[in-house]
Amino acid sequence: MHREIYERLEDVLSGTPPDIAVKHLKQCQECRDEVISMRAQAALVRQLKPPVEVEPRAGFYARVLERIEAEGPVSIWNLFAESAFGKRIAVASLALALLLGVYLVSIERSAEPMVAGPSMQTCLAPACDAAGAPVASTLSAAISGEDAPGVVLSRLDQEPPNDQPNHEPNDDMLVNLVTYREQ
Amino acid sequence: MDHRNSEEAELVKRVQARDEMAFREIVERYQSKVFSIIYGILRNRNDAEDIAQQVFAKIYFSIKNFDFRSSLLTWIYKITVNECYDYLRKKRVRKLVYESDFSEEDAQRMEASEPATDPHLPIDTRLAQRDLILKLLSKLSEEDRSLMLLKEVEGHSVEELAQMTGLNENTIKVKLFRTRQKLLKAASRLTHVRPLAR
Repeated sequence: MHREIYERLEDVLSGTPPDIAVKHLKQCQECRDEVISMRAQAALVRQLKPPVEVEPRAGFYARVLERIEAEGPVSIWNLFAESAFGKRIAVASLALALLLGVYLVSIERSAEPMVAGPSMQTCLAPACDAAGAPVASTLSAAISGEDAPGVVLSRLDQEPPNDQPNHEPNDDMLVNLVTYREQ
Repeated sequence: MDHRNSEEAELVKRVQARDEMAFREIVERYQSKVFSIIYGILRNRNDAEDIAQQVFAKIYFSIKNFDFRSSLLTWIYKITVNECYDYLRKKRVRKLVYESDFSEEDAQRMEASEPATDPHLPIDTRLAQRDLILKLLSKLSEEDRSLMLLKEVEGHSVEELAQMTGLNENTIKVKLFRTRQKLLKAASRLTHVRPLAR
């Protein structure tokens, strides 16, 4: 279609073509054919116009409300879906859940080598220092200031008692330090 | 044109705030229009009633997404036409309206007052033409289809369409031109395929 018609097509189709379009249509068979096809097509589309103004039966609004009730039961989730505040709460909850998930996964990963390692027995055994006092209590005593740090370290350097033959003191201490940190 | 500061916009804002009286006002204001659009496409009162209810339910649930870029009528018009096409798709209607689908009243009314078609054509031919145009319109996007119907069926001018849709007049003209060309192409494809299918 040529510019002379393309730019004025709606006027041409609505039956009020400007002179320049009329002149072009007289000369151009291609544009004339296309305009004729488009006019026929527009007439077809106009068949979708209702023959008369039609009204729904009385009580239409009540039936619409019934439809709404049937399609959208009121639920607690609607509060989250419909209000801005609800949406914010939902997003914040999701973010918190995600953070908690990431935290739990990272904790489990850092604990894995300890559980799967060869010194599982020693992990389960009661952890004691050389003097027979639990290492955890020794450390907590040091932290709380009951013992000077030098005293605590000298206790930890002492040999373990001989009644625990398969006990590796360094392993115990490492394991218990890790356990203590987690507690 | 700004659709945010009209009386209609205030009504929409009230519905968005779940004011039931405002929703009732919208239903009462547009029910005839919606019903007529559906009836124009489907020519069946029972289907029109069912789809009109569906349209207003959809308006109720999705009005919170209405962004005032177009007029409320344009938005409702688009929803209505889409619902008609959803209905046609779901029912897989190939031949749109058989005489068995017609009520006696509908058939008489159609025979008596069909404004856009040649009254000398037999009703079968007119129904076949309607079937064809519905098929052709189904090839268009939702936006193009609504625009075409607003232009040809509702008789709005390019200027009015620009105001209703929030687009400028040149954009409307270009869209209409492309839509008309798509329809012509679809029609020529259909008429070429049909003889081969037989």
